[in-house]
Amino acid sequence: MSNEQKSSGSPIVGIIIGAVLMVGGTYLSLNAKALGVGGIQETLEGQGIPLDFGKTIGTIGVFLILFPVIKSFFIKPLQDAIQERNSDLERTFTEAENLRTEMERMKSDYDRRLAESEANAREQIQSQIREAQNLRSSLMAEAATRADALVQQATAEIEAEKQKVLVELRTHVVDLALAAAEKVVGENMDSERNRRLVDDYINSVEVVA
Amino acid sequence: MVRAVETDLGSVVDALRSNPEFRHFTMTPLVGRDDKTTIFQNVFGDKVTSLTMQVLRLMIERGREADLESVHAEFVKLRRSEDGIVFATVTSREPLTPEQKVALVEKVELRIKKKIEPEFVTDVRVIGGVKVAYDNYVLDGTVRGSIGKLREKLRYELLKQS
Repeated sequence: MSNEQKSSGSPIVGIIIGAVLMVGGTYLSLNAKALGVGGIQETLEGQGIPLDFGKTIGTIGVFLILFPVIKSFFIKPLQDAIQERNSDLERTFTEAENLRTEMERMKSDYDRRLAESEANAREQIQSQIREAQNLRSSLMAEAATRADALVQQATAEIEAEKQKVLVELRTHVVDLALAAAEKVVGENMDSERNRRLVDDYINSVEVVA
Repeated sequence: MVRAVETDLGSVVDALRSNPEFRHFTMTPLVGRDDKTTIFQNVFGDKVTSLTMQVLRLMIERGREADLESVHAEFVKLRRSEDGIVFATVTSREPLTPEQKVALVEKVELRIKKKIEPEFVTDVRVIGGVKVAYDNYVLDGTVRGSIGKLREKLRYELLKQS
């Protein structure tokens, strides 16, 4: 606010001073000789410096008059544009900073969540691996048990079948031997032998007292 | 009298078994009951007792000619039961001598303490010796029976070993 008051007071003073200098300069330029500066100007012109103090002072006055105008219509908008630009830049930088901070926060959150996910995934994988190993162990044990049982059952069945075949074989041998014995005895049986057999049996029949 | 009836019925059954034409005549329904009665009277009238003839006439009149054999068998069974006699089948390779028959019947009667009525049959499959079968019992003195016992014993031993 103080800068605005200062800037609003200064142009008027400058314009007044500029008007005075312009008028004074014009007057001096028109009345240089009368005012005693013509000799100096001629001396300087003789030395190669064509200087008109009146025009110079008038020019300065014009400049002082034009300066506020230039300031108002050119410098001030330019300053405002620069200020706005700076503000935009600051805001942009601030927003960028905020975005960066937000991104860092999100990145850290993402990293944290990623780490948690990885940890969970690792934990789940380890759990699944342990479960698979346990299942594998149990299946292996069960398979081994069943295999042993099957082997034992097969061995028992083979042994039983072997015994059965042996018994059948021996029974068959017995049948063959007895059939052969029947045939031999039948062929060698005559009436006399038969009669003796009958008599022997009759004598051997036990009589219960 | 009972024995006479049994003998008469046995002779009729033997005639039925040995003569197919007579059997067919007796069993066929095409011949009338009066004709059958007349024929039976003519054939068996002078060979069987009057009681037997009455039985035959009664069975023909009631249409029971087909039951003659079973009636005879049941009659024999009842007669044996009434007399306390056990029917026994004596099987041997060759016919037994009369002395062997008497001795065997005496031994068996002493053993079972009952009178037996033996039927002697021959069967070469017994190989040798003699077998007496009565009721649900068998006195086996045949070679085949001995070999059978030996077979069973050997099988039992084999099964016991296994």
